Amino acid sequence: MNRKVLALAAVLLLPSSAAVGAHHGFSSEYDEKKPVTLTGAVSKIEWTNPHARFYIDVKDASGKVTNWNFELASLNSLRRNGWTQFTLKVGDVVTASGYAALSGVPMANASSVRLADGTRLFAETNAPSVQQTPQP
Amino acid sequence: MTSRKAQGTRLKVQVTTLAVCLVAAAIPIAAQQGQAPGGGGSELSTNVNLGGGSGWRGTVPSGPVPRLPDGTVDLAGVWQGGGPGGSNGGLERGLAKGETIPILPAAKAAMAARGPLDNTEALCLPAGVPRVPSAYPWRMVQTPTHRKATHIFILFEANIHTFRQIFMDGRKHPADLDPSWYGHSIGWFEGDTLVIDTVGFNDRHTLDGNYPGTTQKHIIERWTRKDLGHMVNEITIDDPGAYSRPFKVTYPATLRVGDEIMEYICNENNQIGIAGGYIKPQ
Repeated sequence: MNRKVLALAAVLLLPSSAAVGAHHGFSSEYDEKKPVTLTGAVSKIEWTNPHARFYIDVKDASGKVTNWNFELASLNSLRRNGWTQFTLKVGDVVTASGYAALSGVPMANASSVRLADGTRLFAETNAPSVQQTPQP
Repeated sequence: MTSRKAQGTRLKVQVTTLAVCLVAAAIPIAAQQGQAPGGGGSELSTNVNLGGGSGWRGTVPSGPVPRLPDGTVDLAGVWQGGGPGGSNGGLERGLAKGETIPILPAAKAAMAARGPLDNTEALCLPAGVPRVPSAYPWRMVQTPTHRKATHIFILFEANIHTFRQIFMDGRKHPADLDPSWYGHSIGWFEGDTLVIDTVGFNDRHTLDGNYPGTTQKHIIERWTRKDLGHMVNEITIDDPGAYSRPFKVTYPATLRVGDEIMEYICNENNQIGIAGGYIKPQ
């Protein structure tokens, strides 16, 4: 299957990723009015429940590096959508979109994860307007 | 050089793959449309309850209700749904059209005062009954397996990774129950409907992440398998500590052939409250 077909398949499947993660409510943790899209190298992966997480080092215009913590779905949802613990590796450069933490700490609820070669990975957010999620 | 025949075969594969993706995408979309709050009713096609165990893209099987050798309806298998799930608003979704939740004023005030960290599920504590089973896949196990069960177990994938036990051997509820998360359940069959009667709850969990429950809660579940792939759970909630009268909510469940419940240890890495600003990062 060529990349165009893969990309189209990913887009077609995106709405299905709107299925709700049930562990916690979205609005008590994240701000839907603070969408973020960040690119950086993966520094750590936590293949854990209730949510898997990956951390990326993001450099701003002044060169300052901030380590962002992106929350994914539960391992169970990720596994059922094709992920394994080896899908993302330390050092991979990813562009991740999501919604920033209410508290202002560098955390986000991931709605989209894309590798440097364009491969889009499944991400599940329970943001109320998930269908309008920004895509990198 | 790739032959024209090979190119044609590859194109067919791509088109087939796209068609599969379209169908796979359409199933959850339809399910989400049924999740809109206030949708009411209990139609199988309009009240699907996905949750953290979502993402499974198998097909719900069709066929007659399976039975044990003695004729008892067989409920064993991995299922999804059948309750209000983990999301707020799940209780309203199970109401019949025009019905309301008869919450008492004091309970309503307590509900409004609840903070985000008062959600037991977010704290990796059991979600209680009838909130589970539903949001994640669960397996119903009957023992013995070849005739009417004396015990039924509901194994939960989450949240949390645990189980309920239903005594089907004719015993009654003990008089001196300690309050507990899942209560004490006894069950029996009325025709093809499994009736589960549960009392002895604590007051720490909610009915759906929102509506409260008290130690006076009495839950009667009526599980009816409609066909091979579908079951309906009609739940009567009688809790005079929080509601002015008994009321009913109904939820469908679907069989997940080929799926298995998975491990889910919620407190392994629970970072609840840090993004929300309620707990400071260590």
